[in-house]
Amino acid sequence: YEWSQDRPGPGAPPCPSPCQCEEDGMFIMVDCSEMGLSSVPASLSPLTTYLDLSMNNISEIQPRAFHRLHLLSELRISGNQLRYISGHALQGLHNLKVLMLQNNQLERLPGDAPWDLPNLLSLRLDANLLSEVPAEAFRGVRSLRHLWLDDNSLTEIPVAALDSLPSLQAMTLALNQITHIPDYAFNNLSALVVLHLHNNHIQTMGSKCFEGLHSLETLDLNYNDLREFPVAIRTLNKLQELGFHNNNIKAIPEKAFVGNPQLQTIHFYENPIQFVGKSAFQFLPKLHTLSLNGATQIREFPDLKGTTSLEILTLTRAGLSALPLDLCEQLPRLRVLELSHNQIEDLPSFFHCSALQEIGLQHNQIKRIESSTFQQSTSLRALDLSWNMIGWIHPDAFASLHSLIKLDLTENRLSSVPVGGLGGLTHLKLRGNTELYEAFSPDHFPHMRVIEMPYAYQCCVYGSCDSYKPAGQWDTEQSTNEELHKRTVAVYPVHADTHYDPDLEEFQLEIEEAKLQTSVQCTPTPGPFRPCDSLL
Amino acid sequence: QHKQLSGVTSGCQQGGCLTCSDYNGCLSCKPRFFMHLERIGMKQIGVCMTSCPPGFFGTRLPERNTCTKCRSECDSCFNKNFCTRCRAGFYLHLGKCLENCPDGLIRSDTQRECV
Amino acid sequence: LESERPALRAVIKVTLIKEPTGKPIVLEGLFVGGSAGKAEGKLMQYHPLSLCNNSEDDPPESDFITIVKLERTVTSCLPLLDKARMALAKGAQAVIFDISDDDHAAAELPDTDSLPRPVVLVEAEDAEELMGLVNKNEEARVVIEVKMESKWPFD
Repeated sequence: YEWSQDRPGPGAPPCPSPCQCEEDGMFIMVDCSEMGLSSVPASLSPLTTYLDLSMNNISEIQPRAFHRLHLLSELRISGNQLRYISGHALQGLHNLKVLMLQNNQLERLPGDAPWDLPNLLSLRLDANLLSEVPAEAFRGVRSLRHLWLDDNSLTEIPVAALDSLPSLQAMTLALNQITHIPDYAFNNLSALVVLHLHNNHIQTMGSKCFEGLHSLETLDLNYNDLREFPVAIRTLNKLQELGFHNNNIKAIPEKAFVGNPQLQTIHFYENPIQFVGKSAFQFLPKLHTLSLNGATQIREFPDLKGTTSLEILTLTRAGLSALPLDLCEQLPRLRVLELSHNQIEDLPSFFHCSALQEIGLQHNQIKRIESSTFQQSTSLRALDLSWNMIGWIHPDAFASLHSLIKLDLTENRLSSVPVGGLGGLTHLKLRGNTELYEAFSPDHFPHMRVIEMPYAYQCCVYGSCDSYKPAGQWDTEQSTNEELHKRTVAVYPVHADTHYDPDLEEFQLEIEEAKLQTSVQCTPTPGPFRPCDSLL
Repeated sequence: QHKQLSGVTSGCQQGGCLTCSDYNGCLSCKPRFFMHLERIGMKQIGVCMTSCPPGFFGTRLPERNTCTKCRSECDSCFNKNFCTRCRAGFYLHLGKCLENCPDGLIRSDTQRECV
Repeated sequence: LESERPALRAVIKVTLIKEPTGKPIVLEGLFVGGSAGKAEGKLMQYHPLSLCNNSEDDPPESDFITIVKLERTVTSCLPLLDKARMALAKGAQAVIFDISDDDHAAAELPDTDSLPRPVVLVEAEDAEELMGLVNKNEEARVVIEVKMESKWPFD
C-alpha cells in the first residue's frame, strides 16, 4: 500500500491524524501503527475497511470505540498494552474478518458478555497472559476458522470454549503449560485440519482425547513430556503429518498407526525408544521416510507390508541380526537404506531395489558378499561396508554397480577385492584389511580422487613416491584434504621473500587446471619410514 | 567500527529490535517478536515485528520466533501446509489453494474460495 | 616441518552496474583454505541469520556473489564453514565475509579444500567500501581473482 497523510480528495473519507491512509475505491484503509497513540483515534470513518493500530501504547479500548465501523474487515491492535477487552469495546464490527490482538498483556477474555463478531475468521490471541478461557468466550465468533492461542499461560485445553467453534480449521495451543489432554477435548471440531500442541508439558492423554477430529491432517506434539505412545491418534484417519519428537516415549506398540493410512511423515526422534512392535509401521502406503535410531530392543526387522512408498529407511543401533529375504519386494522404491550398528550377518539380494542409491551397513557382522547381493543395483552410488568381518567377495559381486562412486570396506578381513564394475569410483577405502597386499593399478579407477590403502607402498602406483622429497618435507601426517592444495602450491611455490610474479592470466589458468586435475589422494603416504618398496 | 546498539537507532528504527547494526538491521528481537529477513534490492536486513508480512507465517519457539515463507500459491497462511488466503487464480478449500474446486463447490473470485 | 599453508590473497574488482565502463574499484581480501579461484557476479548482501538451517528465501535469478557482514552479537546458528557452504549451495558464485566486527571468524575457518567455489574474508577499508555500496543499494558487479603475494599481514 502507498500510505500517505495528504488531504483526501473531495468526497473521500477523512484520514484521522496522525495516521496514514490509502483509498480503496470509496473505502479507506487506515494505518496508525507505531505512532505512540495511547487510545483509539476518535474520528474514524464508517467507510474504513482496514485499521492498523499495532505497536502503540494503547492500554484500554473505550466502549463503542468501533461501533460505527460496520464495514471494517481487518483490525490490528497487536503490540500494545491491553489487559482486557470487553464485549462492548468491539460492538458494531459486524463485518470483521481478521482481529489481531497478539503481543498484548491480555489476562482474561470476556465470559459473561463475549465479543459479538459473527463473521470473524481469524483471531490472534498469541503472546498474551491468558491462563484460562471462559466457557462462553467464543460464543459470538462461531464462524471462526483460525485461532492462535500459543505463547500464553494456559494449563488446560479450553474444552468448553472450543465447543462453540464448529468451523475451526486451524488452531495452535503451543508454548503453554498444558499437562493433560482429556477425552473428547476437541469433540466438536470436526473441521479442524491443523492442531499444534508443541512446547507444552503434556504427560498424559485420554485414549479418546482426539475423538471428533474427523478432518485432522497435521498433529504436532513435539517437545512435550509424553511417556506413552499417543494411542489416541487411532481415530485420526485423515492424519498426514504427525510429530512427537523430543518426548519421553520408550515404546511404539504393535499396529501403532493402524488407524492412520494417510500418514506421509512421522517425526519421533529424540525419544528413548527401546521397543518397536514388528507390525507398528505396516500399511502406511504414503509414508516415505522412517527413521529409528538406538531402539536396542528391536531384534527383528519390522514388517513393512503395505508401506510400499518408503524411500528412506534408517534403522541403526538396534539388535537386527538378519534382513528379510523379500525386503526389496516390500520396499520397491527404497532409495536410502541405513542399517549401521546392528548385528547383521547375511545380506539378502537387493535385486528388486532398483532405486537404491545409498546403503549403510557399517558396524555389522557381515562375512561374505555373494554375486547376487548387489546384482542389478545399477543406481547404487554409495556403499559402506566398513567395520564388518568380510573375508570373501564374489568376483562378480560389484559387476553391475555402474553408478557406484564411493565404496568403503575399511576394517574388514579381505585379502583381495574384485575390481570389475568399480570403474566409476572416486572414493575407495580399504584401510585395516591387513591381509590385503595387492597394489591396484590406477587404470582400474580412472576417476579415483581419494583412496585409502592398508599399506603406504600401495600408494606408490599413484605417483606418491615421485613427489617424495628429502626428510623435513613429508614427515608430518598430512590430512588427506591438504593433498590437493599442496600439489597446487607446489606447481607455483609461494616464497615469502622473493617477488615471484608470474603472468597473472597464466597463473589463473594454472590454478583452475590444478583444481580440475583429478590427482589422486592416496594414504597412507609413503615416507622415510614407509618406503615404496614393501618391507616384506 | 560499526555500532551494535540496543533498541531503536539509526538504520533500525522499529520498536521490536533488541540489538541491531546499521548494515544488517535487527540482529535480535525483543521477546515474543518475530524476526523477518527482508530483502530490499541488494540489501537484506533483519526486521522485528508482531506479525509476519503477507506471504509469510510466524513460528513461535522457546528460543526464537521466525517468519517463514508460505507456499507460492498462498497470499497468507497458518503454516507451511495450511493457507488462509490464496493468490489470484487459486481458490481456498480446507487450507489448500486449488485451481479447481471439489465437486459440489464453485469458485468465488471475490473471496478466492470454493463456496 | 611444512609451514602452515601460505594464504592466497584475493583481488576484488567492483564495477557499478549503472557505470559499466567506469574504472573498477580494486579491493583485496584473503581466500579461505583451498578455495582460491576466479568468480564473477552481482553483489548481494545476506543477513547473518539467513545462513541458518531453518532459513529459506528465493535466491536471485542471475549469478550473484554473496556478501555477509558478520556480527559478534549474533548467536551463530552454524559454524562459519557451514554458512559458507550454505551460501554456495544457495547458488552464490562466491562468498565474501566482512569480518571487521567479528575477529574470531578468521580463526574459526579450518584450512580446508572442501569449498567448491571461492570464499573470501575482507575487513577494514576494503570491507567498508563494499558494505558502503550495499548500504546505499548501489548495484555492482564483482570479479574475484587470485593475487600472488606474501602471507596476510594481519596474522
